[in-house]
Amino acid sequence: MATTSIARPQAGVRPEGGGLLHRLFGRQPAGYLFLLPWLVGFLGLTLGPALASLYLSFTDYNLLESPNWVGAANYVRIATADPRFVAAMRVTLLYVVLSVPLKLVFALLVAMAFNRGLKGLPLYRAIFYLPSLLGSSVAIAVLWRQLFAGDGLVNMALWQLFGIEGPSWISNPRYSLYTLVILSVWQFGSPMIIFLAGLRQIPVDMYEAANLDGASKMRQFFKITLPLLTPVIFFNAVIQTIDAFKAFTPAFIISDGQGGPVNSTLFYTLYLYQEGFGFFRMGYASALAWILVVIIGAFTAFSFLSARYWVHYDE
Amino acid sequence: MTKPGIHLHDAQSITRRSLLAGAVAGAAFSALPMGRALAAERVRFVWWGSQERADRTNKAIAAYKAVNPALEIVGEFSGWNDYWTRLATQVAGRNAPDLIQMDYRYIFEYARRGALMPLDDYLGKGLDIADFGAANIDSGRVGGKLYGVNLGVNSSALLYDTVAWQKAGVEAPAPGMTWEQFGERCLALSKAKTRPGIYGMSDGSSVEPALELWLRQRGKSLYADDGKLGFDAADIEAWFSYWEELRKAGAIVPADIAALDQASIETNALTTGKAMATFAHSNQFVGFQKLNKSELGLSIYPSAGPDKPSGHYLKPSMQLSLASTAKSVEAVIGFVNFLVAKPEGVNILGLERGVPASEAMRKELSGSLNAVDKKVVELIAIITKVATPLPPPPPSGAGEITAVLTRVSQEIAFESITPKDGATKFVSEADAILARG
Repeated sequence: MATTSIARPQAGVRPEGGGLLHRLFGRQPAGYLFLLPWLVGFLGLTLGPALASLYLSFTDYNLLESPNWVGAANYVRIATADPRFVAAMRVTLLYVVLSVPLKLVFALLVAMAFNRGLKGLPLYRAIFYLPSLLGSSVAIAVLWRQLFAGDGLVNMALWQLFGIEGPSWISNPRYSLYTLVILSVWQFGSPMIIFLAGLRQIPVDMYEAANLDGASKMRQFFKITLPLLTPVIFFNAVIQTIDAFKAFTPAFIISDGQGGPVNSTLFYTLYLYQEGFGFFRMGYASALAWILVVIIGAFTAFSFLSARYWVHYDE
Repeated sequence: MTKPGIHLHDAQSITRRSLLAGAVAGAAFSALPMGRALAAERVRFVWWGSQERADRTNKAIAAYKAVNPALEIVGEFSGWNDYWTRLATQVAGRNAPDLIQMDYRYIFEYARRGALMPLDDYLGKGLDIADFGAANIDSGRVGGKLYGVNLGVNSSALLYDTVAWQKAGVEAPAPGMTWEQFGERCLALSKAKTRPGIYGMSDGSSVEPALELWLRQRGKSLYADDGKLGFDAADIEAWFSYWEELRKAGAIVPADIAALDQASIETNALTTGKAMATFAHSNQFVGFQKLNKSELGLSIYPSAGPDKPSGHYLKPSMQLSLASTAKSVEAVIGFVNFLVAKPEGVNILGLERGVPASEAMRKELSGSLNAVDKKVVELIAIITKVATPLPPPPPSGAGEITAVLTRVSQEIAFESITPKDGATKFVSEADAILARG
């Protein structure tokens, strides 16, 4: 580091340079000092365990005995002989494909309604954001279970309003995943806030010009709003996709950690959890976790590559 | 705790304030362990179970405070599924609780892996369990060493709502009835429709202890001595078919109601008022009665025929084990002894964890039994007469096979697979799990 000589001598730090600390942290010790709480957390609680799990994924670690190296055996089994991996992948992909677009559309619709200049907007914004704050909590999942159970509120409403005798949505493999999708869509708060901010960025004069030219509202939406919003849509889509892949709490609570009935809510993370903590195959679970990292990475990379064809950053 | 001070002296420029702060911090840190040493010895005790069990256990912990004020016991409890997850994680993280409620299914795995402490040295010296009888002591042995102290004896049993059966005018489940008769009675109860949405019985097809008993009545077993499955596809096909028939007839709860059962007293179809009979462990009768308004009855299983074995066996419902890392071992042993061999402790726990293994303690309890307890004791007396030997402990992977049984029986219940295909699927998946270990 040639720039070290410019470093201003500071209190508590030896100005001579040469020390390992000095060479490492160079001229901005204060900056690194402020970074330290995060850095310690990142190295100790994220990077360290992540590397440990990478090692464990090549072992047969069972929590109680020390791990033995088994090479790529875990990965080979996942790829060739694990029907539950396939089931979990199916459930998770279906969940991502259904919940992410629905949630984004819903969030955009609400954001557009808010953007028309509502009185008391901050209040409504807060109310509509509320489910997202509660969303991943245990209490909401328990509430969902009550709502969609056989004699829950949903069936009571169906019976009173339409005379339909509904099934127990939450414990029927035909519907259980969809109740979780609804739960996810209901938590549209954070993409909505971001959409709202994005909508505010669009210059009003564009709409004025379009109005003068006689463009319909629909045409304005597709020709002005949507193209100018693409960076925000892109951001939301990537974040929500990653979140959906990692969904865990609702399925865990609603199926009591079993992913049932009949694997219908066996999210990938839940399967991973079962293997690791339920059946004590921590090595295998680590391999599953790394495969999820690769899958999420691939999806994100694909999104970024495709972005060049549909995301407009220019004004 | 002088380290922070030395460190500060090393630094070139230290202000008076930072020195003072360091000294205060140092003093605070050094005060911590001392404060602890002065207080009682603190040990952690974990168990699984319902709120009722927690209330009784906490009461016993409080009572033991009078016996040994120097021991501070901190109790933690959770449901069955979470319990094993937490325990494994804590043991792996070298943060094992000192006193562990153990199950017959897991004691072998934990003991073999060195996570538990052998207790033989305390037999007769602090641990007075000689009158448990050989069978009840040996069920806590692994490889000849004692790792678990029997907390009570139980058996799988049939629980039913006495009021509902009476109201429907159907003969309630009773010892001696066959599986066919039992099915007919359940159907009759469903048809009586004393209330909308009630059924004779919960779905037993996914209940592993029930399957085990049913197999034992037919001369088979859940697991053979060599750790493989003790039955074949035809056996379990008959089992699935029996329940399929009852389900289609409406004698037992439909699939989506059965799937709400999360293997706990709280979510059982009997407690939620859907089914008027269910399978459960005999000691759980106490917890069930607590959550059910109408009076419950308790019976042995339906029989396979007059000269067939009952299939019942007396099992240690749970045991107490010490972690190999346990602190204050002698004091903890004293607490264990208080729970299983001292009238005061035994009276507080009652029969909620099973009937005490100690002959003397059974006598001690018999004076103070309430109506609910009496039913449990009567049932255990009946079962003692017809009991067959304790099966070998389940092989590793047994927990996963329980999950497979739940899943396959649900697939059959939701009609995505026939009992025949379900049987083949179950056996092949179970074999694969056992081979994987």
